[in-house]
Amino acid sequence: MRYNNSRTLALFYCQNVPGAGERERIGLEKKYGLSIRFFPIACSGRLEPVHLLSALENFADAAYVITCPQGMCRYFEGNLRAIKRVRRTQDIIAGIGLERERVGIVTGLKEDPKTLAEHAEEIFDKTLQMGRSPVLDKGEANYDHCATEAH
Amino acid sequence: MITAQQKPINEIRGMLGPYKRILVLGCASCVAECAAGGQKETAMLASTLRMMAKMNNEDVTIHEHTLDRQCVRDFVVRLDEIISSYDAVLSLGCGAGVQAVAEMFSEIPIIPALNTEFIGETRAQGLWMENCLGCGDCMLYYFGGVCPLARCSKQLFNGPCGGSVGGRCEINQDVDCAWQQIIDRLTRFGAMDRLEMIYPPKNWSRKQGGGPRKIIREDQQR
Amino acid sequence: MKYVSRLKSVLEKGGFAVTSECGPPKGADPQAILKKAELLRGKVDSVNVTDNQTGVVRLSSMAAGVLIRQAGLDPVLQMVVRDRNRIALQSDILGASAIGIRNVLCLSGDHQSFGNQPDAVGVFDLDSIQFVQVVKNMRDERVVIGGDTLGQPPDMFIGAAANPFADPLDFRVVRLAKKINAGADFIQTQCIFNFERFDKWLSAARDRGLTEKACILGGVTPLKSAGMARYMKTKVSGIDVPDELIRRMECVSKDRQREEGIRICVETIERLKQTPGIRGVHIMAIEWEEAVGEIAQRAGLLPRPVPDDQ
Repeated sequence: MRYNNSRTLALFYCQNVPGAGERERIGLEKKYGLSIRFFPIACSGRLEPVHLLSALENFADAAYVITCPQGMCRYFEGNLRAIKRVRRTQDIIAGIGLERERVGIVTGLKEDPKTLAEHAEEIFDKTLQMGRSPVLDKGEANYDHCATEAH
Repeated sequence: MITAQQKPINEIRGMLGPYKRILVLGCASCVAECAAGGQKETAMLASTLRMMAKMNNEDVTIHEHTLDRQCVRDFVVRLDEIISSYDAVLSLGCGAGVQAVAEMFSEIPIIPALNTEFIGETRAQGLWMENCLGCGDCMLYYFGGVCPLARCSKQLFNGPCGGSVGGRCEINQDVDCAWQQIIDRLTRFGAMDRLEMIYPPKNWSRKQGGGPRKIIREDQQR
Repeated sequence: MKYVSRLKSVLEKGGFAVTSECGPPKGADPQAILKKAELLRGKVDSVNVTDNQTGVVRLSSMAAGVLIRQAGLDPVLQMVVRDRNRIALQSDILGASAIGIRNVLCLSGDHQSFGNQPDAVGVFDLDSIQFVQVVKNMRDERVVIGGDTLGQPPDMFIGAAANPFADPLDFRVVRLAKKINAGADFIQTQCIFNFERFDKWLSAARDRGLTEKACILGGVTPLKSAGMARYMKTKVSGIDVPDELIRRMECVSKDRQREEGIRICVETIERLKQTPGIRGVHIMAIEWEEAVGEIAQRAGLLPRPVPDDQ
C-alpha cells in the first residue's frame, strides 16, 4: 500500500484553493487516513507560526500551507503574509536543528491552479522523502492539540 | 511602549540548563504590542522549547502562562498559586517585568527570554522606532516634537553635524537625520528662532544622578 | 618658556594663516608622529593633531600634541566629545594648557560605529557647540560648568569646524553663528571642492557679520587620484566633489593624477586668498604630508612668518 502510516503531514489550506470543498476534503481524508491531517482556513494570512509549530510538536513530520493562487487572495495580501510567516517558522525550527523543509508553503498558479488533491499528493510525496521527525521519534504523538488552535 | 526582541534560542536554552519544570511567562502589555512576548509569542517559544527537549530526550515539563502585566504587582501576585509547581520561570516580560516577578518570588530563578530594546512607537505593522530615552527632562517643545537625544546618533542639541546629507544620517542611509526633521517641522510652524539660542549642557542628573529613579505620589497611595 | 599660539599671532597680525594636520599612529612609537610633523616644519603655522579619527584607537591626541610641541611646532589639539564626558573634557583642557598646548579644535567626532570599536558607548555628554562655550568660560570667566572658579585659567585659542556642504544649507550658517557666538576664535571648514555652494555659505556668513567675529580657514585636500575623488563624493557624508572635478582627474593618466590633484589644490588656495572673509587655509593631505610643503610653496604661502616664541 502506497500511503502507509510512517509519516504524518499537517496541511493547512486556503478554502479558496480549487477542489477544497467539504465533500472533497472528506474524500481525501478517507484516502490518506491519519497520514494527512487537513486544516481548512478562511485565509492563509490568518495562519500563525504557532499553528505550524504546534503541529510539528504534537504529531506532524511536516507542516505545509497551501495558499490561493497569487493575486487571487480575497483579502488581497493574505497569501503574501503567509509566505513571511512560514519563513519565520522555518527560521525557528532551523534554530533548534530541524530541517527547514519540514515547514513549507505552496502557492498555486493563477493560470493553471492545481486542486487540493493534486497539491496534497505532491506535498505528501515530499514528506515521505524526509526522515521521521526527530521531535516525534522519541515522544508520544498527540493528535488532538493542533486542530482546535488552527480553526 | 517598551520594545523587545526574543533572545536567540540557544542562549535561552543555555540559561535553562538544569531546570526540569519551567513556566514560560508572557506579558500582554508592551511586549505583546511589539510581538515579542505576548500570548502568541509565549506559545511559540514554549512549543519550540518542548520540541527541543524531545529532540534531546530530555524529561522537561514546560507550561505557558501570560499575565496582563508583569511589571505590576497586582498582576504578578496571581502567580502565587501556580509558581510552586516550577523550578524556574522563563519571562517574556521586558527588563522591568522580569525584575518585578523576581522581586516578588525570591526563591525561584526568573530567566529573561527577551532583550529589552527601547521606548518607542509602532510606526507601521512590523516596524518599531526608538524615540525617547526617558531623560527625565522633556525638551520636545523646543525641538518641534522630535527628540535629538533619542533620534540623533550623536545626541546633538545645537543642530546637525556635518554628516547630514539629504535628510539622512551619516552612520547609515536608512537612518533619518533627526535634525533635518526638527528643522523641517520648526520651519513649518515658523519657529526656527528657537534654534538660534545655544542650548546648555544637558542636566543628566535627572536620568542617572542618584541611582535608580523612583516616583513617589502620595495621592496614589493606599 | 612662554608658549603662544602661532595661529593666533599670525591671524592677529592680519596674516593669511596656514594649518595642516597629522594623524597619530596606531601604536606607541613617538617617531611615527614626529616624522610626519617634521615634514610640516616651516611650511605651516600650526598643526592639527587628530583625535582617534573615524573612531579608530590611536595614540592620544594630547600625547601627540605634546610631542609636536616639544619638537618646536605649534599643535592644534583636536578634541571630540564622543569619548569623554564633561569632567574629562574640562580636565583635559586644563592639562593641555599646562603642558603648553595653545589651540584646541572642539569637535563632535565621527560616530563610533565607523571605527574599530563599534561596540563602544558614544558619550556625547556635551555637543561641540557646548564644548566651545565651556572652554571659553574656562578661559575668560575662569569657571567650569556649574560655576566653580578655576585657579589659573587655561590659555587656549578656540576653534570649531564647519561643513558648508552638509544639509540643510540654510541652517549651516545658523550653526556657524552658534559656534562663533559660543566663543570660537577660528573656524576650519570641511574640504572645499564645490565653490558655488561654498560661496553661498560664505556670503550668508558675511551678511551676518560672522567673518568679522571669527577667523575662517578654508579647508583643502589634494586629491591623489580620480578614484579618491569618486570615493569622497559617494562614500563620505558631507563632502561634495563636483562631477567636473572628477572628470578633470580622469582626463589625465594615472601616473599624473597626483600632480593634477596638487594643481587643483593650489588653484583652490589661490582662489581662497582672494575671497573676502577667508583668513587662511587648512591643508588636509590625508596620509600625504609630503605634499603640504609643495602645495604651500606653489600657492605662494612660503616662507611662513617667524614665530614670536623663537
